[in-house]
Amino acid sequence: MTRKKIVGLSVAFALLFGTVPAAGAMHIMEGYLPGGMCLLWGAVCLPFLIYGLFVLKKTLAHDRRSITLIAMAGAFIFVISSLKIPSVTASCSHMTGTGLGAILFGPSAVSVLGIIVLIFQAILLAHGGLTSLGANTFSMAIAGPFVSFAIFKACQKLKINKMVAVFLAASLGDLFTYCVTAVQLAVAHPSPDGGIGLAAAKFLGVFAPTQVPLAVVEGILTVVIMIALESYARPELKAIGFEREAA
Amino acid sequence: MMKKKHTHTGAHSIDYFAYASGLNGWNAAFKTVFSMGSLILCITADHIFVSLFFILAMSVLIIIPGKLPVHDYLALLCIPVFFMLMSGITIAFDISLAARGDYCWKIGCFFFSVTHASLWYALSLTLRALGAVSAMYLLTLTTPACEIVSVLRRLHLPKIFIELMYLIYRFIFILLDAHGRMREAAASRLGFRDFRTSCRSFGGIAGNLLICSMRRARVYYDAMLSRCYDGDMRFLEPKKTVRSRHILLAGAVWLAALLIWLAGKGG
Repeated sequence: MTRKKIVGLSVAFALLFGTVPAAGAMHIMEGYLPGGMCLLWGAVCLPFLIYGLFVLKKTLAHDRRSITLIAMAGAFIFVISSLKIPSVTASCSHMTGTGLGAILFGPSAVSVLGIIVLIFQAILLAHGGLTSLGANTFSMAIAGPFVSFAIFKACQKLKINKMVAVFLAASLGDLFTYCVTAVQLAVAHPSPDGGIGLAAAKFLGVFAPTQVPLAVVEGILTVVIMIALESYARPELKAIGFEREAA
Repeated sequence: MMKKKHTHTGAHSIDYFAYASGLNGWNAAFKTVFSMGSLILCITADHIFVSLFFILAMSVLIIIPGKLPVHDYLALLCIPVFFMLMSGITIAFDISLAARGDYCWKIGCFFFSVTHASLWYALSLTLRALGAVSAMYLLTLTTPACEIVSVLRRLHLPKIFIELMYLIYRFIFILLDAHGRMREAAASRLGFRDFRTSCRSFGGIAGNLLICSMRRARVYYDAMLSRCYDGDMRFLEPKKTVRSRHILLAGAVWLAALLIWLAGKGG
């Protein structure tokens, strides 16, 4: 093979994978949902957000200092979700980070932080959009974290090893987010013959090759992060209320 | 400022473009109304020519008066391209056990079929999404995020929400900075040599980042208190007035879109 060909191939390779910056977190794009769906998902999110705000208000009334801690948690979720993670394939992918957030900070706080993170992802990273904000909030900041949290608590009740619990919570939460997103897309764009069911199956199938390995990687990374935190940051974990609940 | 010239995916670049934009001097609330109005119009019209018109009009506005290099703008438009391709293909193709549709391929025991209608639907949906994305870009590529938050504040969203947004916006860049340094340190010690090591380094960095950020959070609260923080954050905002030519421009764009929509409906 001549040098020219090699350069050409590498350029093609770079173009193929270099232009796919957001293969990971499956944000529904701006303008992909019809108007009615945008409003519907926004309305579904509202009670969770209001409840989350009340919980935050109570936390703040109890201890005013925690405002910077909560804000830091939000920024942390944003940064984690914007990082390229080591991936088996060449394309870069992102974590959702909400599973970790739900385990550390609880699902109600994550729902409020999640919508802020999603707004900033739309504004600063062009991931997701402002009209699809409701749908994305429901799948990433409400459905996923609540499932993660429920699995984590259930595993603790069953006295399963903590790190196994963290792995299951993070990866299954991630998978659930991806399923919810597929269903949201299917409801908005049903197949003309097979209806919503077939469309959901199609969306699940198309995104599975990227999302399933990603969920496993997210689980592994969350475990590694938790190990790092448990060994170096006990006081911090106490401060955010994780140790108290877990112990 | 921009160390690596051709990385467009980081949060730094869009923030940088927003501050450097030629449209930064326009009133933020006006730009929000203009951009959101166009977005809603583009989605409700759901008409291929209206979508094309918005893609064109918004791109021209962002590139010419906004002074964003064309190359950068195209790179930004590529961000949602993966999602667009995958979902577009999914919507265009149908799977069934019997042959049907205008074009049909047999793979295994399934038939993958495409109809003219489904192709047209996928195309118009993709264009509508691109139109909507360009309308959103008119806001996000020309308006710094803290001004967008101040528009939200004037909409009387809950105070905690706005306060958290202001703080999170600032903390994001602090954490990105800290993360960049940690990543460089790990990379210079072969921390991303292979997949296993990468996972270890990534987890270690993320854990360490959380520890650092929690420790810093306390210091920041003390810093805020020492500057008379009493639960209310107000920032000095430069006055940007809405000029009549801006309103005329927005009106003209909307009118043109409406006319195209009506003409398309009739024809």
